[in-house]
Amino acid sequence: MREKKQRMAERDTGGSAGVATVAPQSSIFNQQSSIGSQVRLPFRTAFRISVQGIRIRLGRSLVTVSGVVLGIAFLMSNLTGQLIKNGVAAKREARQQATLMAAMVRAEIGDVRDKNLAVLVCGTLRPYETELLSTIVAAKPAQLRGLGLTQEGVTPATPSTLGAGAGVLLVLGDAPSGAFALEELTQGMTQKVVLEAEAARTYAGKAALEAEASAVRRELFFGAQHEQQKARMAKEAQQAHARTLWIVVISLLVTVIGVSNALLMSVTERFREIGTMKCLGALSSFIRLLFLIESSLIGAAGSLMGVVAGAILPLLAYGFTYSFVTVLGSLPYGWLMLAGAGSAVVGTLLAVLAAIYPATIASRMLPASALRSTV
Amino acid sequence: MNKTSIIARAKDVTRRYKLGEEIVWALNGISMDIYEGEYLSIMGPSGSGKSTFFNMIGALDIPTTGTIEFMGADLFALPEEKQAWIRCNKIGYIFQTFNLVMVMTALENVALPMILQGATLERAHERAAEVLKQVGLGHRITHLPGQLSGGQRQRVAIARALVNAPAVILADEPTGNLDTKIGAEIIELLKRLQTEHKVTVITATHDAKMLDISDRIAWIRDGKLERLEERANVTINMGSMH
Repeated sequence: MREKKQRMAERDTGGSAGVATVAPQSSIFNQQSSIGSQVRLPFRTAFRISVQGIRIRLGRSLVTVSGVVLGIAFLMSNLTGQLIKNGVAAKREARQQATLMAAMVRAEIGDVRDKNLAVLVCGTLRPYETELLSTIVAAKPAQLRGLGLTQEGVTPATPSTLGAGAGVLLVLGDAPSGAFALEELTQGMTQKVVLEAEAARTYAGKAALEAEASAVRRELFFGAQHEQQKARMAKEAQQAHARTLWIVVISLLVTVIGVSNALLMSVTERFREIGTMKCLGALSSFIRLLFLIESSLIGAAGSLMGVVAGAILPLLAYGFTYSFVTVLGSLPYGWLMLAGAGSAVVGTLLAVLAAIYPATIASRMLPASALRSTV
Repeated sequence: MNKTSIIARAKDVTRRYKLGEEIVWALNGISMDIYEGEYLSIMGPSGSGKSTFFNMIGALDIPTTGTIEFMGADLFALPEEKQAWIRCNKIGYIFQTFNLVMVMTALENVALPMILQGATLERAHERAAEVLKQVGLGHRITHLPGQLSGGQRQRVAIARALVNAPAVILADEPTGNLDTKIGAEIIELLKRLQTEHKVTVITATHDAKMLDISDRIAWIRDGKLERLEERANVTINMGSMH
């Protein structure tokens, strides 16, 4: 009779009576008589559980991710905007200066077209000097000999052949001294006019002073104006720097608040799950690790999206305002990459930082109180 | 039943909670021995403190004063690693509200205690599938808890409690959220675990059927142990208990 009852029970539960064989072998139900220590699980295990959690809770994860995306996009768009504005402003400044310098050249020898010119570059070209050179090349002089630079439209020359037949020698570049003697350089010029971008530049050769005396040396800038311009630019740069810093600090704050809020919510709504995990033997450190891995993944994903969005939006906005050619042509790409990488790192770190507090709270909870919570 | 071997012992256990400004004594000094291999039912009205007591035995809550001994050791004097080891290896928990991890499939839920024990994923999944099959859920192992009925969820929870072959099963109103038929199956299952595998079963319950199969019944009221009786000395009127 009893047997029959048991069989019926088995059928009803679809075989739950088979629990008799739940133990691997009969009666190995934990007979170990000493208390062991729970093992610390490998990072891999925590990582797998975290990734799975994010995947299954994708909708909820996306809400958290979007918090990070917004914060980082805000930060990145401010940085990109500043870079574009500075880039465009610098380009304009350089153009203005180049125009001024080109006017000086014209004042000296008339229209550049069909004239013979020589260019010496000491050190590296400054942006406005580059502009000036392209202006001159574009004006199609009969001959343009060059030393210390390689550029299309400029014929390479040696120190002794540089001046041959030229009506003017332009000396450009940021090095304070020239490696050649001025006498050698001006050899064979139709008129010995030297236009200098740097008034205080010195030249090699013992006969420097005499050579300078025999040549007409002029500055491409009107000195005083140059100084004023320099001072104005420095002041503007400083103001822009302070403004950028302020905006970056504000956007970082927005990011921190957005990210911590999102993570705090995601932890509190999972207290019950945390309690359950602890019940089943999870160590506090494991729970904390789960949340930190999750938040760093969320942080990294959100930051990457935020960086892309934050770079593209201002590019479009300024592109329509100034023209894409100007914006793309004047953008300092190195700085843009740096801003992107920085924002991504900041976003990820902030996400982890923001998660430390809720993760610690969660991991320290008594299992009973975590289970009781009905959040 | 071997009454000389004690698996858990409560000594003058109290528990105080703060509810806003008010201080509530959920437990008011309970002392009790729990024997290895017995089936103990804990009875009491809601708010009596039986769940709190239950949590103490299961190392889920810390007494305000008093001690709980488990396997001869002062449970809350043990380091976290040892407490976690006991929860993982020695105790199987079954809750009224199932407490499954909602983002894990039935299989993953059941495998979780083994994963936490340090088993490999393959080994854990293999054994979890085996246990799920034995509780009659072999065909639904890839379902999430949200896709299962109450009875099925409770079976997942039972499979999870059994997967590490614990010495003690703590079941807090395991039939509370289930209909009578499924409840009866679960009671049957718990009884079989006790008789066939010498597992100690401790349940908190209102269910007269569960009292019927108990070895001892503890009555808790106002945070105190009111009576502790052998089943043989208790008359249970199945009609009036419901």
